[in-house]
Amino acid sequence: MISKEFEFFAPVHEAGVLELLDQHGAHATLLAGGMSLVPAMNLGLVEPERLISLNHVTGLDQAVEQDRVLRLGAMLRHVEVARNPLIQRWCPALSTAAGVIGDVQVRHRGTLGGSVAHADPAADYPPVLVAAGAAVRLRSIRGERSVPAGEFFVDLMLTSRAPSELLVEITIPKPAPTARSAHVRFARVEGSFPIVTVAALVDPAAGSIRVGLGGIGPRPVLIELTEDLSDGLTEGALARLAEAAHQASGQAYGDLHADPEYRRAMACVFTQRAVKSALNGARR
Amino acid sequence: MKTSISVSVNDRSHRLEVDTRTILAHLLREQLGLTGTHIGCGTGNCGACTVLLDGQTVKSCCVLAADVNGQSITTIEALSSSLDTLHPIQQAFVENQGLQCGFCTPGMVLSTLQLLGDNPDPSEQEIRHGIAGNLCRCTGYHFIVTSIQDAARRMQGAK
Repeated sequence: MISKEFEFFAPVHEAGVLELLDQHGAHATLLAGGMSLVPAMNLGLVEPERLISLNHVTGLDQAVEQDRVLRLGAMLRHVEVARNPLIQRWCPALSTAAGVIGDVQVRHRGTLGGSVAHADPAADYPPVLVAAGAAVRLRSIRGERSVPAGEFFVDLMLTSRAPSELLVEITIPKPAPTARSAHVRFARVEGSFPIVTVAALVDPAAGSIRVGLGGIGPRPVLIELTEDLSDGLTEGALARLAEAAHQASGQAYGDLHADPEYRRAMACVFTQRAVKSALNGARR
Repeated sequence: MKTSISVSVNDRSHRLEVDTRTILAHLLREQLGLTGTHIGCGTGNCGACTVLLDGQTVKSCCVLAADVNGQSITTIEALSSSLDTLHPIQQAFVENQGLQCGFCTPGMVLSTLQLLGDNPDPSEQEIRHGIAGNLCRCTGYHFIVTSIQDAARRMQGAK
């Protein structure tokens, strides 16, 4: 039993959520899949005064393709992100990442928006979103704004979402037809939070490499490089990737599984692997 | 604080008053007396509390009872009512010694039900992936994997 009393709301329309957020703001906590929040409440680490469940709100779990972007509803469960054909087609790295989060039960319940809003430094989605140049759409009773993923993640479990705002969707620009992407992670045990989690979006035609690096500091970091990829990845390009990953992971933290130095070394290795994997993998 | 919910548990409808702090696992065990759902860690790691929520496995220690209003839940009790009517998955676990203390078994069996529903003929790798959310501290998993392979054969044979 959770020890501290709280008020529980389960609105069925988004407008109801926005009104509650407007009324209670910082005194209300949003509940999506609850895969991080409910354990934290069980442990008494988080004691919300008011809980607003998003699990009964209609229309927040759609994946829609438009001319230039993919629009992904915040309440898409990980299992849907992993198997949705539109996401597999336009952002396969996101599907791959979704398929390795937690375990089957967690993927049935946990959500895209919940994970992104929680902003755990070792979460698998943030580096993919940063590499893909995605944006986070936030809505309040007063209006709507779109924040680039690179700006949304501010610090350890801190985002630029205001207390009155609801994260409604993630928009992902469709990459060039020649682009390829991949997600790789390094964890001691399947389903555990990774030591490093890395996404790469590579366009060999343009010579552009974008790498999102997670698990190595308070927030995901973007690495951008331009390389001549006509003959694949040269030794020089691999060395420059490792150097960039080393520079980007200066805030690497230590925990039970990896000290900062080891984590930083793995950031270099897995950055190289992510880019190799993207180049060798399917398009986009 | 109390809230009122309607749920279907093992095909039986209930209208219940629940404390908003109640997790689904406690609702099942303490309010409905369905003690086959076990609580190990309370933090979403061990999977002993696995149940099906609208046909998909979830960890019932990480779902609030107040949040399942209008939904249907299947617990281990739905699979059989006596030793003579064991589900093929349960029979396979018994015959292959896929358990020792049995604490994790209800969750293992329901994860197997989900796995074989999604993939009737899984490889060993797929089986291990499918039960990654269920921890067993006795068996070392080997006999559990064997049990699931046997269960897959039994369920295919039954079709």
